[in-house]
Amino acid sequence: MRQTYLFYWKANLLTGILLALGLGLLNQPAVAQEHEEINLYNTAVDVRVGGRYFQRQCSRCHGADAKGTDETGAPDLTGTISRASTDFGIYNIIRKGIQGTAMLPVPADTPDPKVWQLVAYINSLRINPANIDLTGSPDAGQSLFTSKGSCSDCHMIGGTGGRRGPDLSLVGQRLDPDELKIAMTNPDELVDPRWWTMRITQKNGSVVEGLRMEEDTFSLRVIDENADLWSFRKNEIQSYERVETSTMPSYTQTLTEGEIDDLVAYLFSLRKDN
Amino acid sequence: MKRLLTLLLISLATVALAQDLNDAPVTPAFSPVTWDRLVNASDEPENWLTYSGTQNSQRYTRLDQVDISNVTDLELKWSYQIPVIDRAETTPLVVDGIMFITESPSNVVAVDAVTGRQYWRYDYELPEDLRICCGRNNRGVAILGETLYMSTLDAHLVAIDARTGNLRWDTEVADYAKGYSKTAAPIIVKDMVVTGIAGGEFGIRGFIDAYDAATGERRWRTYTVAGPGDPNVSSWADDSWKIGGAPTWITGSYDADLNLVYWGTGNPAPDYNGDVRLGDNLYSDSALALNGDTGEIEWHFQFTPHDEHDWDAIQIPILADIQFQGRQRKVMLWANRNAFFYTIDRATGEFLLGTPFAKQTWASGLDSKGRPIVLPGVSPTYEGVLVSPSIGGGTNWYSPAYSPKTELFYVNSYDGEHKYIKRDEEYEEGQRFTGGGFESVQPIDNYYSAIRAIDPGNGEIKWEFPIQPRSSAGIMATSGGLLFSGSVDGYFYALDANNGRELWHISLGARVHSAPMSFAVDGKQFISVAAGNVVYTFGLKE
Ligand code: HEC
Ligand code: HEC
Repeated sequence: MRQTYLFYWKANLLTGILLALGLGLLNQPAVAQEHEEINLYNTAVDVRVGGRYFQRQCSRCHGADAKGTDETGAPDLTGTISRASTDFGIYNIIRKGIQGTAMLPVPADTPDPKVWQLVAYINSLRINPANIDLTGSPDAGQSLFTSKGSCSDCHMIGGTGGRRGPDLSLVGQRLDPDELKIAMTNPDELVDPRWWTMRITQKNGSVVEGLRMEEDTFSLRVIDENADLWSFRKNEIQSYERVETSTMPSYTQTLTEGEIDDLVAYLFSLRKDN
Repeated sequence: MKRLLTLLLISLATVALAQDLNDAPVTPAFSPVTWDRLVNASDEPENWLTYSGTQNSQRYTRLDQVDISNVTDLELKWSYQIPVIDRAETTPLVVDGIMFITESPSNVVAVDAVTGRQYWRYDYELPEDLRICCGRNNRGVAILGETLYMSTLDAHLVAIDARTGNLRWDTEVADYAKGYSKTAAPIIVKDMVVTGIAGGEFGIRGFIDAYDAATGERRWRTYTVAGPGDPNVSSWADDSWKIGGAPTWITGSYDADLNLVYWGTGNPAPDYNGDVRLGDNLYSDSALALNGDTGEIEWHFQFTPHDEHDWDAIQIPILADIQFQGRQRKVMLWANRNAFFYTIDRATGEFLLGTPFAKQTWASGLDSKGRPIVLPGVSPTYEGVLVSPSIGGGTNWYSPAYSPKTELFYVNSYDGEHKYIKRDEEYEEGQRFTGGGFESVQPIDNYYSAIRAIDPGNGEIKWEFPIQPRSSAGIMATSGGLLFSGSVDGYFYALDANNGRELWHISLGARVHSAPMSFAVDGKQFISVAAGNVVYTFGLKE
């Protein structure tokens, strides 16, 4: 991202200097306008056309649901785009590709509207917080998080809390309100492999149990409930077992529906811009 | 006195080196690689003369200095950093201590195989508007005499002087603007360069070509999609053969006794929507045996008729002579992307056996001719249907190996699955034409992956070594009783080829996407592999 910016900044400067030379004055607003490109192809029809083009040109790597694929290393495009923060930034990624990666530019003869329609489609995958009405109260959620819910025993937000669950500081960018609710009511539904439990039997028969920090072909790392880190070579242990359920309890019994809504509202507000 | 002499020699050598640097870059002289030497490449294991090591593509070296007892003494001797950042899928060649490495996107360098220092480099200039499906790769060169032959991403074949890196000729194989490209190492057949083509996701019509090694003129072309004049054109509804795909994007093999060239073909186009190309779609997803002089198809064996899951038969055909049911037979061994392993008579194309070697949910088995008995409900739908193997397959293009010592076939396999989705799509020249897509349903860690050792006499899996999370690396077997391979988690490792026991591993820090090879200089064995953007070379501690 920084590289792209640097490049445009330089281009800006150059254009600015040329303009200044040509017109004898520094025409800043015009320059700024030129590069604050906005997407003129942003209607529902554009989104649909862009979606079709996406299926054809991009889904092979990014997946039909745009959630990315491990096979190709193409990232999830339904959340935050890490290499761009504006429409024009996304436009540039599609137009120019990402140097040195499998992400190639679209064919040079692809007309501009088509690229913008892709941008519109990618934007449509992201939830726009402004369009979502939540019943719960973020403030009430925030206090539940550290009090009755004891969520902070396991989760960190803004640097305070436990380590037995994922950091939730920016969880509102990653999950939509429905997904947040499912995380609390049915934690086993989709457990990231990072949060599986590993039960390792050592050669001397003793058992270590902990969260799966990392597993590769030859080694294993787990963190136990005392937050102690254990490292093993697979050929030096007797056996290991994976438990693919969540260690987070379901809150359907312990919290009321209203309290869950409050927590959802609070967690959903946890985004970079807030 | 002796000390003084050494010093003198060193300073003389330094002067010589300095002079070399001022002259035009050139490699030391090496003995030209004749056709005879290529046929008998296994007799000179100190050199690695073809992509797969020998014409039978066993990726097996007769070098045995590194063996089960001393493999833990391997250490890094040198590494070569490829300047263009992409992923290296190259297998280098070595001739008399000179190594030729291809780089992304379509470059080649010659380096000293003992030090990794560069002699010369050749940079091929590519057009800006390339259309390629799967990354900017080049997997290797072929050599004949003192000339290297390399595929380029814009679908050219170039001949390069192996001593200097100068271009000898440059032939356009196909028009890249129509979606053709080239990534695989060619093979030499007598005085010809035989080579395939990529572009199966763009509705091309695949082929295998032979070019005059001296001039670059085309000698023959064999289409891998049956057309008019071939009765098998009836395996394509209407005019669908015209954009039928069946690319040939990996390297083939050759049997000098039978004068047959063996090559695998890729998926029919569009990949996931078979409605627009009813029929078996010959010769997609097949093994072809071509006459070495004329290119005529002598026999074909189709692994996946009317494929709708992108299960290319783009694997390296391994040729071996084995005992099969009490009889010595010339066979071809093939672990296919469709998750079945096949033993085929390579003289006639007769199907001998086929068994699943990875998880599959699409066929109840193979019939007596080797044709899959397809289960109902596995065709892609608009909503998506869950099928094993995954789009990447039970295995893929990465080289398997065969050891005549253990008589086992080795393959990196993956027990995955995908949701396969169908779409209606119009063909547009030069545009992606897949007719669908796929979705992952679970994280990759949920699936099982392993190197499997298969007995080609009965298809049984003799042992397996689990890989976490998976591998897209090739395998090399050695006369020292070892198997070398790598994984996406960045390991390079050695196993006991007899039983899969783990012997040695090293973390190279980036995905191993290439196949290992071995060579020797001055009686010392080396093993090389590319990982990330680096070629690493290992040897025993002195
Ligand atoms: C050959 C595989 C491939 C294809 C086809 C492909 N991409 Fe990508 N894409 C990638 C990879 C890999 C990355 C990540 C590159 C990196 O940052 O390392 C990426 C990154 C991106 C990013 C930046 C994501 C981020 O979070 O920064 C966007 C946006 C994107 N792709 C859009 C598209 C669009 C739109 C298309 C179709 C026109 C497309 N891609 C086609 C492989 C692909
Ligand atoms: C015993 C420890 C523990 C407690 C207490 C706990 N969690 Fe979790 N939580 C986890 C673990 C482990 C995961 C990751 C596995 C999973 O997805 O269930 C997780 C996942 C989540 C996720 C999904 C995060 C993501 O990035 O996908 C959310 C949201 C969440 N928890 C919210 C809460 C809230 C709200 C509470 C309090 C009401 C709470 N958790 C209490 C351990 C805990």
